[in-house]
Amino acid sequence: MSRLRLGLEMDGTSRGRQVHDIVKGLAHLPATRGALIVAPDGFVIAAEVPGGVAVEPLAALAATLGRDLEVGATRLGRGAFQTAVFSADDGTLFLAASPIGFVVALTDPQASLQLVRGALAEAVTLIDAAWARATSGS
Amino acid sequence: MRPTLGRLWWPGRRRRPRVPAALFAHADRLRRQGRYAEAGRLVAAGLTGDPDNLTGHLLAAYLHLAARTIEPARAEFRWVLARQAGHPRALLGLARLALEDGDLDACRAALAQALQHHPEFPEAEALLGAIGNRHPLSAVSASPRLERLRLPPLARALLVLAADGSLLTARPSESKGDGDHLARALSLAGATLRRAGWGAPRRALIEDGEETYFVRGDATLTLALALPRTTQIAQGVLEVNRLWAAAQHALAVRVEAPAPASPPAERPRRVS
Repeated sequence: MSRLRLGLEMDGTSRGRQVHDIVKGLAHLPATRGALIVAPDGFVIAAEVPGGVAVEPLAALAATLGRDLEVGATRLGRGAFQTAVFSADDGTLFLAASPIGFVVALTDPQASLQLVRGALAEAVTLIDAAWARATSGS
Repeated sequence: MRPTLGRLWWPGRRRRPRVPAALFAHADRLRRQGRYAEAGRLVAAGLTGDPDNLTGHLLAAYLHLAARTIEPARAEFRWVLARQAGHPRALLGLARLALEDGDLDACRAALAQALQHHPEFPEAEALLGAIGNRHPLSAVSASPRLERLRLPPLARALLVLAADGSLLTARPSESKGDGDHLARALSLAGATLRRAGWGAPRRALIEDGEETYFVRGDATLTLALALPRTTQIAQGVLEVNRLWAAAQHALAVRVEAPAPASPPAERPRRVS
């Protein structure tokens, strides 16, 4: 709750810092290897990914996947795309839509689905609140 | 009163009209923080001062994409390419829009052109790798038994896809459109997972405003069940596992069906 209030009190400069804090928070969840926020055009807004993973190509693909899910949901008339989870044998990719792009988390297979989904939802709520306030205040 | 106060606090600071280049540089910094509305205002102001500025139009394209206003974004990318053919970022932008439209040929062509001008372009390489992967033709074919799988009462749709993304069954048949969408999303997810150093997707949950797709797959088959958004995840996973086992059985029965009767082989004769 305090984090949400903090989000509501953000000014423009703090919002830049806030996205970095959100990514850091996600990346430090148990069994989580990294996190990033990417713009819909694939630009990396903030990232904490393990060494050895090239962030730009990963972000380009994550944004393309996010846009594909958004466009698909809209075309099929089922409302806005919200979240997706894709699990391989050796890791899981979480992706959520937000007003500034896509929030992505990369986790080990044993990561708690509930915990990461909850953290992702909280991240999107924080971004929503901070950006909605900025839009209405501008 | 306020201007006086302003002068008192910042006596040496006078507001000067900023040159477009400075406005674009500031807009780009804001864009990198996700502050699109503020960036948009600066880009608009910059383009008023310098309407033919390439950077300004490229930024405008990105900001339109960020706002999900696709046609203006496409127009801006084209504007940039009309002035600088082979601009890699504009080509990448158009390639991604072509992919959203389902035009894979146009997407490949734009990416190939970008890489021709700039061979070291990781994002274009990654995207080309993702859409260039052709799946092997499936050895599994549709079975009427798949049509008889028992669906949960609240299920909206069941899709079964072969390894090449072709649809083996769609129930109800109106959900066929979901099959193409799902196959492409899983293919992109596979490419993204590979970029993270992992294997192919085996399970997925895709949630939109109304429903959740519970997906399970392996190298030969993908099964996706659409349930209402309110479905508990554990319940959805149980249902998709049950259908997965049933689909495997249905297809195995078909594959292992007895071969057509053939004439009995001649017994070898004893040679005395």
